[in-house]
Amino acid sequence: MLITVHSEEEMISLGGLLARVLEKNDVVYLRGELGAGKTTLVRGIARGLGYAGRVTSPTFILMNVYPADIDIFHFDFYRLEGGDLGDLGLEDYLEKEGLSLIEWPQAGAAMLPAEAMLINIELVEGDYERERLVRLSGIGDRYQAKVEEIKRLC
Amino acid sequence: MHDVLILGIETSCDETAAAVVKNGREILSDVVNSQIDIHSQFGGVVPEVASRKHIENIGLVVDTAFENAGLSYNDIDAVAVTNRPGLIGALLVGLSFAKAFAYALNRPLLAVNHLEGHIYANFLEHSAIELPALCLVVSGGHTSLVYMPSIGEYELVGETRDDAAGEAFDKVARFLGLGYPGGPAIQKAAQKGEPGKVILPRVFLDRNDFEFSFSGLKTAAMNEWNKLKRKGLANVNDLAAEFQAALVEVLVEKTMHAAEQFKARSILLAGGVAANQELRNLMKKRGREQGLPVYYPSLHLCTDNAAMIAGNAHINYIKNIYAPLNVNAYPGLIVPVKSTCG
Repeated sequence: MLITVHSEEEMISLGGLLARVLEKNDVVYLRGELGAGKTTLVRGIARGLGYAGRVTSPTFILMNVYPADIDIFHFDFYRLEGGDLGDLGLEDYLEKEGLSLIEWPQAGAAMLPAEAMLINIELVEGDYERERLVRLSGIGDRYQAKVEEIKRLC
Repeated sequence: MHDVLILGIETSCDETAAAVVKNGREILSDVVNSQIDIHSQFGGVVPEVASRKHIENIGLVVDTAFENAGLSYNDIDAVAVTNRPGLIGALLVGLSFAKAFAYALNRPLLAVNHLEGHIYANFLEHSAIELPALCLVVSGGHTSLVYMPSIGEYELVGETRDDAAGEAFDKVARFLGLGYPGGPAIQKAAQKGEPGKVILPRVFLDRNDFEFSFSGLKTAAMNEWNKLKRKGLANVNDLAAEFQAALVEVLVEKTMHAAEQFKARSILLAGGVAANQELRNLMKKRGREQGLPVYYPSLHLCTDNAAMIAGNAHINYIKNIYAPLNVNAYPGLIVPVKSTCG
């Protein structure tokens, strides 16, 4: 499904909507170029799950943990560029009771689960001042069902 | 009282580093084995590569630190190591090495917060810093204002809401095709350009608090670049100069404001971005206007090193606050609010 987002506030609201269908052990891939709004959408999901604290870019540190209603693991593989994720302990987190939100999943694709919710955030004509096109799709039955649920909520 | 010799070990990110510092003041040796050449091929720090290189380097780096100091293992009184924040795999290499070393020599282990180490770098080089101080810690992972009422005490008063300053430097430099690491690349381009030819926002400068936000500035810079390219007017040096000016102005004005509110008697710069010449110059200038001395470490002590870790550990060593041998490493912990280090 395609959603048009016109402002930072709308991106936060969209995150709140996603938070209503996301649950423990879910995995979400966030794609989109630098500055598209991936971390902002994560902030919206975290707010929707009752976390009021800081949601900052984990680019340098690679992951943040937010103790929301459920634990949120916020990953960012921007700097990995296809490197090995072995030292991150990623699989340990994916097995834990938490929601994994992963920015730049393409960098760690080989080690990530095949089934996930995929969110693509696109700029319009490369213009950062314009709206964003957010494409949601589900890979696997579980996530396809969640996307259908979001359509009903919209 | 006899001299206290502390071995410091630092492996939280790019650098494998070891140093021996006497009495928390005098650097006897300071060895940094930079991995930056490996990482520049990848456009950033690759954690797996970082850990593997740390394992390859650490024995030699520590031995060189002893050799340069003219000491043998048994001469040291304690082993200090960074245990947070940083890349977990990288931190664990240094921490495990330090634990084994301390255990084998029967010496106490001291765990150091990397950001407190950065702040302490100032105390290695400046002997009469007036406290309380207001510290701006700026690096790839952090943009924090820290109030320091007395030595070893830290209170976090503000930080970034999204991207760290160094991260914004790196990402914009990459977008503009200027290379990695982004801070020096943008500074170099900015010297050939002129700020003000394009206008970028001074984000949060109008707010009466100590929060930072650099994500919007990053996006504005990238947007401006796209527009200029479409018009065929793209001058990368002018854009780099304006980006640097916008970022530095916010850092300096927020710091001056915090220093005034907390009645600080000095300002300390710390972290990799503290190597930026424009930041140093503007902070000095504004400090002079306000009658506040501004301190920053020399360039090699701004970036990651182990001397700052060994130096900072002296604070806890003299208080007998040691770390247990089962102390853990933590990836994302920043300066603890209203607590002492350790």
